[in-house]
Amino acid sequence: MLGRQETLAELGRRALAGAPPDELLHETAAAVARDLGADHVAILERTGDGRGLLARAGWGLPVGVLGGVLPPEPERLAHDLGSGSSLTADIGASGQAFGVLEAHAREERRFGAEDEAFLQAVAGLLGAALGRARHDDLVSDSEARFRELADTTPALMWMTDAEGDVTFVNEGWIHFTGGGASFGASAHPDDRERLLDTWRETSRERLEFRCEYRLRHAPSGGYRWVLELGTPRYAAGEFVGYVGTATDIHERRTMEEALRESEAGFRELADTAPAMIWTTDEAGLVTFVNEGWMRFTGTTLEEELGESWSLGVHPEDAPLTLSTWQEALAERRPWEREYRLHHHAGEYRWIADRGVPRYVGGRFVGYVGTAIDIHERKTMEGRLLEVYRQEHTIAETLQRSLLPERLPPIEGVEMAARYLPGARGAAIGGDWYDVLERPDGRVALVVGDVAGHGLRAAASMGQLRNAFRAYGMVEASPAEVVARINRLVMSGVEQVMATVLYLVLDRETGEVTFSAAGHPPPLVIGPGGPRFLEGGRSVPIGAADPAVFREETAVIEPGSALLLYTDGLVERRDAPLDERLEQLAAAVGPADEDLSGLCERVLGSVLGEGELSDDVAILAVRPLTVAAGRISLTLPAEPGSLARLRRRLARFLHGTGASDTEHYELTLTICEAAGNAIEHAYGPGDASYEVEVTFDGDEVVATVRDFGTWRAKRGEHRGRGLRIIEELMDEVSVERHDGGTSVTMRRRVGAERAA
Amino acid sequence: MSSPAEIIVERHDDRLVARLSGEVDMSNATYVREQLLASMPNEASGLVLDIAGCRYLDSAAIEVLFDLSRRLARRRQELRIAMPPDSPLRRVLELTEVRAAAPVYDSLEAALQ
Repeated sequence: MLGRQETLAELGRRALAGAPPDELLHETAAAVARDLGADHVAILERTGDGRGLLARAGWGLPVGVLGGVLPPEPERLAHDLGSGSSLTADIGASGQAFGVLEAHAREERRFGAEDEAFLQAVAGLLGAALGRARHDDLVSDSEARFRELADTTPALMWMTDAEGDVTFVNEGWIHFTGGGASFGASAHPDDRERLLDTWRETSRERLEFRCEYRLRHAPSGGYRWVLELGTPRYAAGEFVGYVGTATDIHERRTMEEALRESEAGFRELADTAPAMIWTTDEAGLVTFVNEGWMRFTGTTLEEELGESWSLGVHPEDAPLTLSTWQEALAERRPWEREYRLHHHAGEYRWIADRGVPRYVGGRFVGYVGTAIDIHERKTMEGRLLEVYRQEHTIAETLQRSLLPERLPPIEGVEMAARYLPGARGAAIGGDWYDVLERPDGRVALVVGDVAGHGLRAAASMGQLRNAFRAYGMVEASPAEVVARINRLVMSGVEQVMATVLYLVLDRETGEVTFSAAGHPPPLVIGPGGPRFLEGGRSVPIGAADPAVFREETAVIEPGSALLLYTDGLVERRDAPLDERLEQLAAAVGPADEDLSGLCERVLGSVLGEGELSDDVAILAVRPLTVAAGRISLTLPAEPGSLARLRRRLARFLHGTGASDTEHYELTLTICEAAGNAIEHAYGPGDASYEVEVTFDGDEVVATVRDFGTWRAKRGEHRGRGLRIIEELMDEVSVERHDGGTSVTMRRRVGAERAA
Repeated sequence: MSSPAEIIVERHDDRLVARLSGEVDMSNATYVREQLLASMPNEASGLVLDIAGCRYLDSAAIEVLFDLSRRLARRRQELRIAMPPDSPLRRVLELTEVRAAAPVYDSLEAALQ
């Protein structure tokens, strides 16, 4: 094979080198005979009138044949020579045929297909060489340039004359095809017609020639895809033929074939898939959408091709959807987007669309994408968001209702409180404060912090707050109250953890007893400056069972204020607690500062400008200094006022050192007098009565004054009431005046013990 | 602000025991009486009213004791009162002659004997 290619290359070079035609013909005949192992080779030239064939050259021909003219009959020479097998090839492919190249052997079936191809190649080459000789002068310059080029390029190259006959193929071509000089002859049978049609059309108009076809590939014995490009050549303004190259594009082409096949498979698959699938070309124009997509949109494939898919995107989503797509496309990045697409039913539905770039043989060819309907999920998200918002509203409402801006007034104490929610979103915390008046006349203060945020923490806080109210009412000892609540919490199903400061204050004596369950210490702001009340510490509520809860007692100086607060005020990640407590102590003003002012000052200077990481509750309480040994009250004339009167009396009598019995009996007599005022002194409508009680260190003097007529002894129990007053008091006097009635009662305190 | 009072009722053989705690005054005395009467089954032989947990009773509350005794007597049911001897209320109950309405015992156990 290589020998034959060398032969063709040699002949080509000889022809290009300008070898004389007769010499070239003889050399050719000899080479063909050698390479084909032929007994006879003849090169016959058609005579000018076309009636005969002149034997121009030959090899192994009997004497007398060369130079003679044969009749133009097929197989004439074969017959004359008595050949067993023959091959013939026309010299000059189209138009002006030069003649015939014949090879003969005595042996039968001496030649095969490859031999025939070789002969064709040689005949083509000869035709080119002979045709070239006719234009030799005109084309020699460009020829030389082409030859140079042809020798230094690995590509397959060829040239034609003005008639379109191949006049030259380079070594690469010959090596590739194994000798087929005409590209028509070496083309795959399935491509040959298309190739020749294209060639004919292009060359007639002398246009650029371009064709992809399968060319015989001798080394592999098969065909390979080539891209053949031809350019018209001109010499001195005259068209002299084409120069062309063939490039091996087999890898690319088979890749594309495979892609087309896989694409067909892909589309088939895509159409049966429930998902919505699309592809684009490298410019991002849609080249395909599957049936799933069209089922969704109700459109046809034609309507979806190109850019028109964007028309279906919801107007609100379109700008971002399209801009993100363009950005991704420009950078050939994967693209992902959730947007609303017009559904065939008329509404827009949410889809999640995702596209990834496709590469074939390293070349970007576009995107392939899938989309799924996420409408239900998306709208569910919306609903969840709504539920979440509702929970916040509920939590906030709960928190607000549990922590009223204004504390219920309690006789004898000044109070102020603040609650600041943490800045973490709208998270509602579990901080709370509360104040209640105990039956023994003391005031219970509580500040607590339930771990966690949200509705649950707020609900737990509400429960704990009520638990403190309940136990605080019946249990005198702060440690006992906290222990009971710990037991309550630990016995519950839900896990609740809370830090609490629970403190009971005796308004009159300034004695405070407190328990700090995992909570920072209360601050006393006294005339001598601020100080923390240490001690009474234990674990948080809900942390352990059983747990030991301690309490501590201290006395605050008259005029002092108490400040209770939650962790949020003093806990910071960036500063140790001690430092924060010092900062808090430094922030308070004078002891007699207005408590609202105190709260603002503390929040302002301790929390600073930064965001709150936790919520904060603070409670400031100051017992009002009681005018020594004196009560003066004006109360509404209704039975409900009696309980309030008793609370006030409890505080007062506590300060007198009265015994439990004296306490009860004094309270009872004063309230019986008040009851008379309420029950009998008035008609319908708003009215009030006044109570004044004094204690001089020895005797309690109480006056109940009303503004009606005190009608005595009406009804049995009223009579009993009067009797009680008379029996239990040392001295009772009733004064009636224009405006109403005054009852003044006196009793020595400690007389019972003395007696 | 009304007075907080609490009544806990339980059966004890053929008698009813009612523990009264908190404060009873003219604002809630009638309510306490109605609750106690409503709790009394017809077949019960009597009511023991334990007032150990009471911090405060006024003349209206004492009136309730008399009234209750009369009403129960009409139903042939007996009223007994249990109160610790050191109660601050003792002198007032003596003064108002509550014993005339119902026998007063030093303890619930004693009243149930």
